Amino acid sequence: MSSRSGVWRLIMRAELREMWAGGRVLNFLAVFGVLLSITAYVLATNNDLNLLPLKQTVVVALTSTITFGLFIGLVMAAESVSGERERATLEPLLLTPSSHRQIVLGKFVAAMSPWPAALVIAVPYVVVLSHKDPVLGVGLWWGAVTGTVLSVIFVGFGLVVSIWSDSSRVSLFICLLTYAATLIPAQLPTEFLNSPAGQVVSALDPLEAAGQLLTRAVAEGRGLSEVWPSLAAPLVTMVAVLVVLFVVAAPRLQLTVEKG
Amino acid sequence: MTQTSGSVLDGTAETGSGIILSAQNLRKSYGSREALKGLTFSLAAGRVLGFLGPNGAGKTTSIRILTTILAPTSGRFVVDGISSDQPAKIRRRIGVLPEGLGFPRQQTGSAYLTFFGQLYGSSAAQARTTSAELLEVVGLQNRGGSAIGSYSHGMRQRLGIARALVNDPAVVFLDEPTLGLDPRGQRELLQLIQRIARDHDKGVVLCSHLLAEIEGVCDDVVIMNAGQVVAKGTVEEVIGRSDGNGRTLVRVHVPAESVPVARAALQALPGSGHTVADGDSTGWLTVEFDPATIASSTAEHRAKNGVLEALLTADVPVLSFDGGAGRLQDVFLQLTAEAIQ
Repeated sequence: MSSRSGVWRLIMRAELREMWAGGRVLNFLAVFGVLLSITAYVLATNNDLNLLPLKQTVVVALTSTITFGLFIGLVMAAESVSGERERATLEPLLLTPSSHRQIVLGKFVAAMSPWPAALVIAVPYVVVLSHKDPVLGVGLWWGAVTGTVLSVIFVGFGLVVSIWSDSSRVSLFICLLTYAATLIPAQLPTEFLNSPAGQVVSALDPLEAAGQLLTRAVAEGRGLSEVWPSLAAPLVTMVAVLVVLFVVAAPRLQLTVEKG
Repeated sequence: MTQTSGSVLDGTAETGSGIILSAQNLRKSYGSREALKGLTFSLAAGRVLGFLGPNGAGKTTSIRILTTILAPTSGRFVVDGISSDQPAKIRRRIGVLPEGLGFPRQQTGSAYLTFFGQLYGSSAAQARTTSAELLEVVGLQNRGGSAIGSYSHGMRQRLGIARALVNDPAVVFLDEPTLGLDPRGQRELLQLIQRIARDHDKGVVLCSHLLAEIEGVCDDVVIMNAGQVVAKGTVEEVIGRSDGNGRTLVRVHVPAESVPVARAALQALPGSGHTVADGDSTGWLTVEFDPATIASSTAEHRAKNGVLEALLTADVPVLSFDGGAGRLQDVFLQLTAEAIQ
């Protein structure tokens, strides 16, 4: 007999097979590989011309990796439940004795899988860009930590939206709009970001906060005691998203989305 | 409402008499709109119950309540002795083939069944064994290793039925299982459904728009209209009361030129418990029996045989003989007339 706790593993395996063997994640990773190659070439060139410090090239490469890794996980999560509703494969799952929380957990873990794959793909690029400087180890460590925290946030958010959307088109639209919104602060003028209002925006945006963390920890070489405030916003957001996902949304997972 | 006795009871029996599914006064409202207005019926093991009704009659709502996907606003039901306030336990005792079920295209049929077997608590080895057995039951033993994406529509429906049986359920719900199948596929699937009920002693609830299908396969029938039950009973009972007067009709098709001879032969039948309607230009004649003359099923069969015998004795070629079959459609149209209008 498979134990009650084993149900999420079964769901996760089925999801992984569908995502990876179905080619969806691989297609995204192939595009990611090409984009990262172009980015790495530009960064290496700028570094050779002394336009960009070596440590900053590592931060930019890691930020690009995290940004794209999050995107893949978010897309997978956004359509994991609403897509099953559209394909009429959700009902058989809901008809089994499996708890809805177990079903959501399995889907959550599976949708997290693109992030470590993206990180693994990025390692050779970061190694080359760092010229084997000690910044390599620090960069990979902080990149893995911040990327994992942000992945949990974005995948969890994508699943919440997917649970409450009756079509993957709707859930993808909401998720991509949110994703784009989190990228906006990075494009704002430095003067604004240094202002009190800008600092509030940066603190509230987990992506911006993670970028600042990487800059302080990797490019500026600051210690944990100095960078943890930048980690606070992503960590608080992560806990909030997990609570909403597993305490509020998962038990209310239904075959159809009741409106009104 | 046409309501008859028989195996479709009043829903009060929960155990005993082989009753494995009973619903009592199930209601479902969406705001001020009442989608289901008091569903009450019972189903015995080994029998097939047909669920009929026009679009919007409340069939799917009923099935979703009985399969625990939806919670009823009021009322209760019992599956295999388990009350509706224990939905997780009920899900262990039911199998469902939803309408328009989707499948993972990359997965093989065997892996699909094994996966669901494990979700119901079987070990991987047990689930694989069950999967192989079920693939044989539904005639897919040679295609279990193929990706579901390569299956025809009929094969997918068979796989869906196998999935519905993976937990050895007491009651199987099949929602439009033959939709989109060719005639041969329909016939094979219906035979499979009958075998599941008879050989495996399961109660089967079959939702369908194909009335001939219900008539040919089902033992009992529930006809719904606008959220309420308008007729229920065995198929014969419901058909027998098609016009509300309990009349039984026999329709005979003969060559148009033989109509006068046929009519004379039928009017000369012994006894006065029947009337013969005028044959029309297409050659159809209708014989109507008085309920008093066919009080028992033996008497009814004898009377129908008498019609056929009289025609053959008069040397009238019989092109078609309808002794009751095919008239569920008439009952359905009559009882659901309001919705159709």
